[in-house]
Amino acid sequence: MSIILDKVCKAYDQQTVVDQVSLEIETGELFVLLGASGSGKSTLLRLIAGLIPLDGGRIELDGRDVTHLPPQARNTGFVFQNYSLFRHMTAAQNIEFGLDIRHLPRADRERRVNDLLRLIDLQGLGGRLPTQLSGGQQQRVALARALAYEPSVLLLDEPFGALDVKIRGQLRQNLREIQRQLKVTAILVTHDQDEAFELADRIGIIEGGKLIEVGTPSDLYRRPNSRFTATFLGAANLLPGQRNGTHVYVGDATLDAPPNTGHLSGKAVELLVRPEEIELAHHADNLRGQSIGRGVVERIGFAGPLERVTVRLDNLDSDALHVLLSPDEARSLAIQPQSEVWIGLRDYHLMAKENA
Amino acid sequence: MREIRPRTPSQWLLVAAALLYAAVLLLAPIVAIVQKALEAGVGAMLDALSEPVVLHALQITFFITLGAVAINTVMGIVIAWVLTRQRFPGKRLLNLLVDIPFVFSPVIAGYTLIVLFGRTGWFAPTLFPVVFSVPGVLIATTFVSLPFVAREVGPVLAALDREPEDAAYTIGASRWLTFRRIILPGIWPGILYGVVLTLARALGEFGAAAVAGGGIEGQTETATLFVFRALNDRNEAGAYGMSLLLGLVAILVLILMRLLRRNTVTEHSAHVDHPG
Repeated sequence: MSIILDKVCKAYDQQTVVDQVSLEIETGELFVLLGASGSGKSTLLRLIAGLIPLDGGRIELDGRDVTHLPPQARNTGFVFQNYSLFRHMTAAQNIEFGLDIRHLPRADRERRVNDLLRLIDLQGLGGRLPTQLSGGQQQRVALARALAYEPSVLLLDEPFGALDVKIRGQLRQNLREIQRQLKVTAILVTHDQDEAFELADRIGIIEGGKLIEVGTPSDLYRRPNSRFTATFLGAANLLPGQRNGTHVYVGDATLDAPPNTGHLSGKAVELLVRPEEIELAHHADNLRGQSIGRGVVERIGFAGPLERVTVRLDNLDSDALHVLLSPDEARSLAIQPQSEVWIGLRDYHLMAKENA
Repeated sequence: MREIRPRTPSQWLLVAAALLYAAVLLLAPIVAIVQKALEAGVGAMLDALSEPVVLHALQITFFITLGAVAINTVMGIVIAWVLTRQRFPGKRLLNLLVDIPFVFSPVIAGYTLIVLFGRTGWFAPTLFPVVFSVPGVLIATTFVSLPFVAREVGPVLAALDREPEDAAYTIGASRWLTFRRIILPGIWPGILYGVVLTLARALGEFGAAAVAGGGIEGQTETATLFVFRALNDRNEAGAYGMSLLLGLVAILVLILMRLLRRNTVTEHSAHVDHPG
């Protein structure tokens, strides 16, 4: 276990920013902390780095209790959103800084800096000042600087937040490859769900300073435990229902209860259905998934590679359903607003109903 | 900023007023000194300036200026640091006190030194005399030139991005190392500018040095004090010669200041205003 957080707390002026966060991160894992701005994710990262003192709890890095150690003694590598390179030093000097202050022999330093420049694909640009590099290049230098002295954990605070979309994608790829290659344990903080899905071995959802849920990207997306996670990650249709015996009752439709949901038997539940798991048909017989009844098409909109359709169920008092259809599905259906359609579910997930 | 070329008579009048004002009050004295010094003759001037007493005065001025600049550079950075980076009781008072030398008459400052360091003062010295001796001149000069580095470095330090510092800490750099290698290069232009202002102020100090040091010929007499005495003694070659020398140094300092200021302003987009 590379990183252990045990009931970590931080408050500013009686305002709780990080609330009893406990978490264990495996060696070599890339863990993404995903949350909205102000959720406490960056504060948590700074607590781990030791840049701000914690109010309570314990932090262990690489089997070492670092709770009360200064940042210098924690051996973390930190990458900031705004690169935060040393402006008066060249790219190579920035990377070398950590080796320099550890008094490594000159030859070793040079070799390591050159290796890192190659790793971040900036060979030959080591002599440039940060102002002579693009944003993406600066962030790669910042990454190399944080990796140079082989930190036990790498902490990245919205590292791609200041870059444009195209470069962001490339850099994510680079980061993933480098992280895998060096097998360095990393925590990346972001508010960008796509980034989290693309990079994470596991994601932790953080909100109001609390770690809401932790899981693999697909588990959190398909089988979340909380309404917050379900709605925070992607678009979610939530339908009220009741689970009894081996069935789930939604409106006047009866669906099979998914496996491993016995603990919800006899309880009010919410059915999570992702928009891409809903199918529409003109006849109930044409549905391949399980039918939940008829509805009326309210709106059809273009959403790039998919068609976004809004459908209101006839016999269920719930919000209109959001449906994503492939262009092929949309063409063969030939629906219009006000069309009557049958609605089927290819996949759905049950969650215990939360009290509002 | 929108600049226009003067067109109407009133616009021309404004420009003329500014130019005339500067010419009479700023340019004329410089021209006069140069002219008078040349009139006295270069040979006579050099003779007057190579008198042992004059050389001593220059020496005193040199070391006093050096001392005041050194002390105020270190203490100015310390003051700017605690004022921008720390919260402590008395912070507002300290912030107010730093400007005292700007508003105090140097003569009064010199007098307070006599009161403090004189034989019956609170800080009456036991090892060596302060008042009417070189240490007194040094303290007086340090007092009058105290705010410049603090006031120049303060805004630069406040505008400095803190994240590179945090980066240095996580990388493993101690606070002192981070200050030397990361922070100092960032505030360097502010320090240099403050040093130049301190230098100019210390070099030209008269009132406080005169009162605290007594202007004793060959002992506590500084270059400016010598000018004053030479005028009284109708030693024109000496007075003009020394004035010319000090004037040249001052203009050099001014040019240096302009150059540094340009760098400071371009390196830190924030406009660093000098408060004096």
